[in-house]
Amino acid sequence: MWVGLEAEEYDREFSDRALIKRILQYFSPYKRPMGFVVFLLTIASLSSSLIPILTTIVLNNIETNRNVVYIIFVITLTFTLNILGWVFNYFRRRKISTIIGDVVLDLRRDAGEAVLNHDLSFFDRNPIGKIVSRTNTDSRDVGQIVELSLDLVSSFFIVIFLLVIMVFMNIMLFFATLISFPLFFIIALSYRKIARRRALLGQRALASVNAYVKESFSGIQIAKTFRQEQKLYETFNEVNDTSYRVNLRRGFVFSVVWPALSMIQGLVLTLIVFLGGSRVLDGTISIGDLNLFLSGLGFLFFPLLSIASFWPVFQTGMAASERIFALIDALPLIVQNDNIKPPKLNGEIEFRNVNFRYEASKEVFQNFNLKIDSGESLAIVGHTGAGKSSLAKLLARFYEFQEGDILVDGISIKSYDLNEYRKQIGIIPQTPFLWADSLENNIKYCCKNATEEAVFNALDNSSGSDWIGDLPNGLKTYTGERGCLLSMGQRQLVVFARVLLENPSILILDEATASVDPFTETKIQDALQKTIEGRTSIIIAHRLWTVRHVDRIIVLDHGEIVEEGNHDELMAKGGTYAELYNTYFRHQSLEYIEKMKEIVENKT
Amino acid sequence: MKNSKNNTIQKRIVEFSPGKDPFEKARHKGSRNWIFSHILFKSNKFYVIIVLFTTILTSNLTSITSVLIGNAINDLYFGKTSSLVYYTIIILILSIFSPILRMVSFALREIIAHRMERDCRREFYSNLLGKSQSFHEQIQIGELMALATNDVRMLNFLISPGISLIFESFTALVIPLIYIIFFFPLQLILAPLVFAVLFLISLRSYVKKIAPISWRLRGFFGGMNTTLNETLTGIEVVKATVQEVGELEKYILNARGYRDAFIDQGKVQAKYIPFLILALTITFGLTHAISLNLILGNLLFPIGSIIGYLALLRQLRFPTQISLFVFAMVRVAITSAQRLLNLMNRETEIDENVGGISKSLEGRIKFENISFAYPGSEKPVLKNINLEVKPGQTVAIVGTTGSGKTTLTKLISRLYNLDKGRILIDNIDIRDYALKSLRSQISYIEQDVFLFSDSIFNNISFGRTASKEEIIQVAKEAQAHDFICQLPNQYDSEVGERGVQLSGGERQRIAIARAFLSDPRILVLDDSTSSIDSNTEDKIQRAIRNILKDRTTLLITHRLSQIRWADLIIVLKRGEIAAMGTHDELLSTSDEYQKIFIKKFDVDIDQIIKHKEVS
Repeated sequence: MWVGLEAEEYDREFSDRALIKRILQYFSPYKRPMGFVVFLLTIASLSSSLIPILTTIVLNNIETNRNVVYIIFVITLTFTLNILGWVFNYFRRRKISTIIGDVVLDLRRDAGEAVLNHDLSFFDRNPIGKIVSRTNTDSRDVGQIVELSLDLVSSFFIVIFLLVIMVFMNIMLFFATLISFPLFFIIALSYRKIARRRALLGQRALASVNAYVKESFSGIQIAKTFRQEQKLYETFNEVNDTSYRVNLRRGFVFSVVWPALSMIQGLVLTLIVFLGGSRVLDGTISIGDLNLFLSGLGFLFFPLLSIASFWPVFQTGMAASERIFALIDALPLIVQNDNIKPPKLNGEIEFRNVNFRYEASKEVFQNFNLKIDSGESLAIVGHTGAGKSSLAKLLARFYEFQEGDILVDGISIKSYDLNEYRKQIGIIPQTPFLWADSLENNIKYCCKNATEEAVFNALDNSSGSDWIGDLPNGLKTYTGERGCLLSMGQRQLVVFARVLLENPSILILDEATASVDPFTETKIQDALQKTIEGRTSIIIAHRLWTVRHVDRIIVLDHGEIVEEGNHDELMAKGGTYAELYNTYFRHQSLEYIEKMKEIVENKT
Repeated sequence: MKNSKNNTIQKRIVEFSPGKDPFEKARHKGSRNWIFSHILFKSNKFYVIIVLFTTILTSNLTSITSVLIGNAINDLYFGKTSSLVYYTIIILILSIFSPILRMVSFALREIIAHRMERDCRREFYSNLLGKSQSFHEQIQIGELMALATNDVRMLNFLISPGISLIFESFTALVIPLIYIIFFFPLQLILAPLVFAVLFLISLRSYVKKIAPISWRLRGFFGGMNTTLNETLTGIEVVKATVQEVGELEKYILNARGYRDAFIDQGKVQAKYIPFLILALTITFGLTHAISLNLILGNLLFPIGSIIGYLALLRQLRFPTQISLFVFAMVRVAITSAQRLLNLMNRETEIDENVGGISKSLEGRIKFENISFAYPGSEKPVLKNINLEVKPGQTVAIVGTTGSGKTTLTKLISRLYNLDKGRILIDNIDIRDYALKSLRSQISYIEQDVFLFSDSIFNNISFGRTASKEEIIQVAKEAQAHDFICQLPNQYDSEVGERGVQLSGGERQRIAIARAFLSDPRILVLDDSTSSIDSNTEDKIQRAIRNILKDRTTLLITHRLSQIRWADLIIVLKRGEIAAMGTHDELLSTSDEYQKIFIKKFDVDIDQIIKHKEVS
């Protein structure tokens, strides 16, 4: 139930090294600018670390021989370095954000391409929301860690440079400074575990708030008609208060880190003041040197604090890169072994000894054989799970079959150029899908250059175009997300027109089970009649009207054809089809409707 | 029209409120006011004061440490051995005490921030409960969810780190200045003062530049999500029509926009001038201090003072660094607040009419010449509807989607106000009824029946508490008892759990049971569910037949059988009544009605009429 906490099947474990190597690969096209960035980074860090050292030199000079010319010289140098440092950093940041922008774009392109090339079994297994967040959010996080790492590297350059100077100045104070490292790691490590757990709990609590909001406003009409708002409000308060408590605790945990680290800094500061002070009194070190240690502490703690505050970001970034590479690497299952570009197909189809299963051990078809003539219309009927849609999906090459072969015009569909082959197959799915675009563009989806006249022709040839006139903007009417601004029936009519415009040789139609209003239904029947004319059509039938009008019906049961013939023949036979008729089609007949009142009232 | 507007200003209209709403006024005074009224709500005030106090105090302690170090070094310089221990102890105490103080301050901040989140979410939620049905129909649940979780959460971040950091960096900008005034020669104030001025000016221009870029980033990111989501939802169509390349292009277009905005953001951030100003200020401060030392001599302005002064200047680093992102963040959070307010402040047009008529209805409905267009739309959905429904009658409303069927039924319970004409129930204008009395006697069974993720029992008894026997009784009448008994835990089965995936027909029957239990006088049934098997069809038909008895029913239906047997059939077309009558009348008078039967059953008109004679 908790979203996003479990692993996906295409996940794989990358070692950190492999991961970093993989990330670096993405930067390899940008070698030259990257080299430039590293160069700028180094000199910018050097100039920044020189400034405290120059300050020390000035202070030492003041303490001892007070050479004004020398001091002015050093200070001028400092000013120059300040400006140079800023300029170097300016170019570095500009360059790096360009590179990261490009790398993230490359990542997204690769991920998008990989996703679009997958067969449909991939989308059955992986929810779309997660795929989308991987391609978009995870790629952004990868970019983020690269940026962060560079900032950290720059700070580390400064720290190391300073530490080297410190060793030479006074070994004792150097070690006093170094004490902070083990302390820091002890705190960071013990803290990490707690923080992770708290963060996880916090996310979960928020997820349940989210789920409850969804639930209550999906059912708001019922709550209103039954006046039960108070009930919802009370439950909501419970969920919301839990989230408050859990997340507050998480907040407390996170707010401790920073002060804890600055306490370490304070302790080390005290140590240096005491030890350094004694050394100054001894005359072992100068006051300027002591100042270097004191101010160096700030430089030292800055990257440590950054690591502490950005550690979670860092971890998510690494995890994100792992996820996105896994997505890119997953292999599509459909592989063509030739690329024959077919001319206009005749539409003769043969399934020859086909074996197919979605999952091992669950056979859908075993030794399945079926021949469909060019131009024939064929209805498939059968109970749920009989393999009706699987048949259609195999033909469209959405899934890969394991054995046997499917021939179209005598050639295996594995040998065709996939794109050219699919262009000749028209598919009308059970739930019509429309793009959030104009009606016209939806019809023209596969033939972008079609004229308005062709669009109207397609409409006229399916169901008539008069209903378009009733829409607010005619053909330019915006259809909304998934076509939600049109009715189910209208959406189906649009899909019919889309397929007619495509003019495929083979038509696959999965009849909608959702009912539409009687007016639109008669239109859909018109559309169907005209669409199947003159082309090989395979219809997964749910409507009585359809089975009465096709050339041949096949009855599927557990992946086998148990009966075939036309409606009247099969009814006369009194076999499985007659039984199916009673189960699925009886209530659509005129007789049923005429007798309904009796049926209902007698039985009650 | 004028009247209702006056009403909304005088008294806020809500359909539900859990008690007195302390933020009502603030909500109307803009987002800043609203945010502050939350920050200062009840005991929050107390916490806010402590946070302000501790923040100022810690900033002071940091400055004191800097001054002390300077003094310590001065003493060292002059060889005062004894004072070293004294300074060490004080610095030790300060470096322990100040983080502890900070922890307290941070913890309180978190409390205020999380309270803010909790209270705002509660306010938002109860406000939504009070909104009318028409409001909820216009808004998508996905949007409500995003607002209730993400945008409300942004208000938490607004407090911590957001505003807290701004305040902290403000103190870090001002306090060192004060210490410089008190402990150092006054002229040394020059460098930090100039810095403060330049910093604020350049910050302003930075924030101005970065804001539109953040918008662009967000926009393109949203675009990327939308396009990819849409493409993948329609992946079957994409593949079937071989449009993979085109779809990838659409996505890349947005991704490229994002890249460009990202690079622009990098440019603006790279140009962040306060970093340079700060570096120059510190060096300038150093020069200034050294010159003083050279001029005044080591006695009046010793070397330790230079160090102390520099340490104070270095405190300015904090505001400089923080401002790089904190203002952008606060701005985003304020936009979130604005979005929440926009929704909460939306008025609904229906008033409760508490003093109106309350009586039990008989169920006679009369539409008198009504016309209606949705608020904000020019195009009328209904035109000149005249219709009378007698108590207990069943009226089937048919027509294509968009012909106004649903709207017509919604007007009865005053989900919208009419533009023209009036609706009478039992010969009384519905506007004269108390809303509660009117609505509680009208029930809707909508097309997509919603069930709560709760037990079947609680779903049926949602509107009224009832005994187990009563529940079973209504479930039987709604033809739902049989399938409920087949569920793993029968009436205690949780909807949506494994094995309790209910079909549309089953959900509908649970809704019918629910309606049986509340027993309304007028029932509106949007029966557009379809059953693919004949057995289910039999059951649904019977359930609906049962619930129609003795009530006035408006039936929006796709079932020809129900249309066939309704007392009155209304054919709506583009918001007007195209035909009206019984089945037999319509068969002979309405072409359109005829066409349905002829086409659907592949018969000609004579056959239908003949068929009737046979039966």
